[in-house]
Amino acid sequence: MLSRIGDSAVVRAVGRIPANVHTKLLIAFLGTAVLVIAIGVFGLRVLAQSNDRVVALGALQERAAAYGELQSDTRHIRLLLAENPGRDFFTVWPIRTPRRPAVAVDKAVLSVLARIRPATLPDGLGFVPPTGDERLLRGIRLTGARLTTVMREQIRSTRDAAGEYQLPRRHRVEQLSVELYQLATELANRTTATTEAVIAQNASSYVSQRNRFVGVAAGAIAAALLLGFVLSWSLIGPIQRIDARLAAISSGDFSGRIEVANRDELGALAANVNRMNDELRRLYMELEAVSRHKSEFLASMSHELRTPLNAIIGFSQVLREEMFGPVNQKQAEYLDDIISSGNHLLSLINDVLDLSKVEAGQVELEIHPFSLLEALERGVVMVRERATEDGIQVGLVADPGVDVVEGDERRIKQVIFNLLSNAVKFTPAGGAVDVSASQVNGEVRISVADTGPGIASEDHDRIFEEFQQTDIGVAQRDGTGLGLTLSKRLVELHGGRIWLESKLGKGSTFVFTLPVRSVRS
Amino acid sequence: MTGKRVLVVEDNVMNMKLLRDVLLATGYRTLEATTGGEAIQLAAEHAPDLVLMDVHLPDIDGVHALRRLRADERTAAIPVLAVTAQAMHGDRERLLAAGFDGYIAKPVNIRELVGTVRQHCDAHGQPGSGATPRPSAES
Repeated sequence: MLSRIGDSAVVRAVGRIPANVHTKLLIAFLGTAVLVIAIGVFGLRVLAQSNDRVVALGALQERAAAYGELQSDTRHIRLLLAENPGRDFFTVWPIRTPRRPAVAVDKAVLSVLARIRPATLPDGLGFVPPTGDERLLRGIRLTGARLTTVMREQIRSTRDAAGEYQLPRRHRVEQLSVELYQLATELANRTTATTEAVIAQNASSYVSQRNRFVGVAAGAIAAALLLGFVLSWSLIGPIQRIDARLAAISSGDFSGRIEVANRDELGALAANVNRMNDELRRLYMELEAVSRHKSEFLASMSHELRTPLNAIIGFSQVLREEMFGPVNQKQAEYLDDIISSGNHLLSLINDVLDLSKVEAGQVELEIHPFSLLEALERGVVMVRERATEDGIQVGLVADPGVDVVEGDERRIKQVIFNLLSNAVKFTPAGGAVDVSASQVNGEVRISVADTGPGIASEDHDRIFEEFQQTDIGVAQRDGTGLGLTLSKRLVELHGGRIWLESKLGKGSTFVFTLPVRSVRS
Repeated sequence: MTGKRVLVVEDNVMNMKLLRDVLLATGYRTLEATTGGEAIQLAAEHAPDLVLMDVHLPDIDGVHALRRLRADERTAAIPVLAVTAQAMHGDRERLLAAGFDGYIAKPVNIRELVGTVRQHCDAHGQPGSGATPRPSAES
């Protein structure tokens, strides 16, 4: 499913961008970095706003404290005035004992009033009050000043008139002190309301800011992931397709082509793989044609050579059999020579064809388990007649463990027969040929030893080459000179080895091995 | 002499001459065809006792000709031996599997050829000509 998404139009479009992979990766990483920076910047902005609000709130609280003090002073004035009741109008405070108005109280009021004026100015407040507060502060200052004036008159008159309260003045004091208190209260309330509003605004703006930050962060992460996804699939998709094509090529399928839209290194790689594929297919088809031609050539060569040989050998046999009248001794001898040479030529043809098939890699071994012991016995039986005629003993000794091996039975028999007939051929009368089989180090070892003339050590390798016979072999005029070459190739096809142990005058021993578990060709 | 009739199918003049002379000398009568088509026609007309069939022929090959002979009820029962220079590994098995009654590789051994011919003709009601070996494997 992923790969289908990975093959989408967007991914292909990214692949088609004419930039190399390095640039694309760089752009992708830069893009991701920009997104991270964007998240960071946005976060800092949110933090700064939040800090601004905290600072504003701090200022408000400072204001609230200052105004609270003002308010408490004005209330204090009201309380002091209540301590100093008039004769019959002051009912705010319960009067415990009627007493004369105290000048001391009025003086206390004056000293509180003296604190109010500096407390309404920026120096006393410790901050510059906002314009909205300025009006009230001015009011407080003004009212405070008026009250101070009235209170001074009051104190003066109290001394002069022996403590008589001037009712209208008292009213004025009352009026001004209430006004003062109301102004301070309004100021304090106003600030409290502003503070509450700011706190409420903070709460709501925190939610919206948080949501906006989460949104921006999620968006940036999604964008980064999408960028990574699209870019990685624009690289992985072509790699997968190239990989699949290479796997198919290595298993011999040259029929496909890779469709890669990329205009980067991967596009170039795909184009090269396609070119390699086409070239391999062309070579493969050429090879196939050559191989087929060679097989056909070998088959028709065999056929064409056998057809005239049929007439040569056939007519010679007809004459030799005296079907159409007697032949004399000399003629019979010559006819035998023709027949024997014809048969020799036939063996040559067979061996040459066999060898060229092996060399062309056209011999497919038919690997089956078979009885090696039986194959050896068969070989011995096949040469025994000639050996007996020549007065040669043929013996077979096999280890008890040696019996069934895996291999191409017909080809192994061919090797055994070749070695045995060579041994019999080169062993003089009264000699012996000994065949033995044993299992050594995970392989079966078959040796054919004779008591013939032996082979000089410098000839040991040469003897396995085409048409290389010893002088004695050449003198025998028997054999094609291809038997050992063919045997060597066949043993090697089985994954075995063949070699010769011999000294001139001491007989020869040809040994070959077969892996117990044969390798299929 | 048996006087049995053997149809020889062979496109090579020399080999035809060899087979004809050997068969005549051993007491058979021969019919001669140089192509598969001719062989089928002669076999249908004369109903020979045995057919010696070359496999490589100018028109249809021996295997095809054999199939045609077997398809015709007049010739279906006639034994047919492949006499062929196709003697590479597997050819013998292939031809016997194709339905030939016997296989003789070229170059032929005359004694073996005569023996095999005799064996197949005897199987058709002329006993007493002596046991003969089976056709040999290719050498």
